[in-house]
Amino acid sequence: MKTAIQIKNLNFAYSGKQVLHDVTMDITARQVTAFIGPSGCGKSTLIRCINRINDRIPGAEVTGGSVEVHSIDINRKDIDLQELRRRIGMVFQKYNPFPKSIYENVAFSSRLAGLTKRAELDEIVENALKSSALWEEVKDRLHASAFGLSGGQQQRLCIARAIANQPEILLMDEPCAALDPLATLKIEELISELKKQYTIVIVTHNMSQATRCSDMTAFMYLGKLIEYGPTMDVFERPQDPQTEAYVTGTFG
Amino acid sequence: MNSSPHILRDFDNAIAAFKSEVLAMAAKARHNLERAVQALMERNSELANSVIADDDDVDDYERSIDQHGMDILVKYHPMATDLRLVVSSMKISMNLERISDHAVNIAKRAKKISATPELSEVNLIEPLYTLADHLLRDAISSYSDGNSALGASLHTRDKELDRMHKQTTAHFASRMEEAQGRCQEYLHLIFIVRSLERVGDLSSNIGEDAVYLEHAKDIRHKSTLEREMSGEE
Repeated sequence: MKTAIQIKNLNFAYSGKQVLHDVTMDITARQVTAFIGPSGCGKSTLIRCINRINDRIPGAEVTGGSVEVHSIDINRKDIDLQELRRRIGMVFQKYNPFPKSIYENVAFSSRLAGLTKRAELDEIVENALKSSALWEEVKDRLHASAFGLSGGQQQRLCIARAIANQPEILLMDEPCAALDPLATLKIEELISELKKQYTIVIVTHNMSQATRCSDMTAFMYLGKLIEYGPTMDVFERPQDPQTEAYVTGTFG
Repeated sequence: MNSSPHILRDFDNAIAAFKSEVLAMAAKARHNLERAVQALMERNSELANSVIADDDDVDDYERSIDQHGMDILVKYHPMATDLRLVVSSMKISMNLERISDHAVNIAKRAKKISATPELSEVNLIEPLYTLADHLLRDAISSYSDGNSALGASLHTRDKELDRMHKQTTAHFASRMEEAQGRCQEYLHLIFIVRSLERVGDLSSNIGEDAVYLEHAKDIRHKSTLEREMSGEE
């Protein structure tokens, strides 16, 4: 199976405080990889290293090792960050549509890239909304405000906005944390559809969610990757006692 | 196996209560088997009747364990060791219920045999019962103490019971031909030996579940060497 992301001996610090220690892992293309672990274990920092969104935080820096996407070191100085983030989309915990219409949210990055032809934009919007399983629910009100949608719909709109760029990788940082159980299931269903086309990395606090939607699971603790393997192995027969303690709820 | 307490104390209580219920069921099933064989040896129909009646308790245990197992699955979403404990306990309870059914079979045949003139060869059953009971005792210990080496050893020891079963059955079959007037009794004895042989198989299954619980290794249908290696990890 093809490796999409290679993380090699990655060390990362916020203003000199080391938060990731020597993390090494290969993330397979067109699979869902879940990062689990207690708060502060470094899983969000790690996912944010994959599209360099940590760059926006003053004092945050990679202090060693590398992150390679399709064998290209993304921390190279000549990397175009806008292009990198177009290829690696991201969805956050709190859905954050732009204060625009549903249509304009999805068309936003294409317009930014200079696309103006209505027919092409219509096609991009329709495809992205269909891929994010939102089309049927919004096709009659595309020009209504995105804020009129329910929370779950707004999150799927954010996913549509990310995939309108046709990224290769989709990063999801606790995408269901603010959603009700049914909206959560819709996102999970969407994830299993999307993985046919995209490599997905998801940070989740919900272990049942990790078992339902991921192929591989990485357990992190205190900035270290403790265990990484097929999801069913991690939850049914973990190898490391710390993983066992975390997944059984006997931690600390 | 992880033995630290859970953050949720209720989860610990539920797991502890669940495991004690399985052990109580095991004790009951083993006691039923013991009394069934005793009823046969002592020609005690009253004791046989109480074994038959007490099987209802074992059936109740099986239902209750299934329900409590389901409750734990729904309520606490157990993972890793906890998940394996719930799954293997439910399978063990099914095996125990079948062991108690064999005790009932033995008790019913004991009643029929005791209604006929005494047959000295009933004593041939005793060594088979002793071995079957030891297998069952060790199967229960392997589960309760997390002793997977003991659990993995049962399959090999069960082969001795199989050998005794074959030998004793052949003996009773030849006696059927010789003493034709007592065909019925010998047939009952053949079925009793068969039940004890099945108790050995079911105990060996429980041992396999204990290995799965401890090491997450499925040793069913594996060679003796692979079993012993899994049990000793």
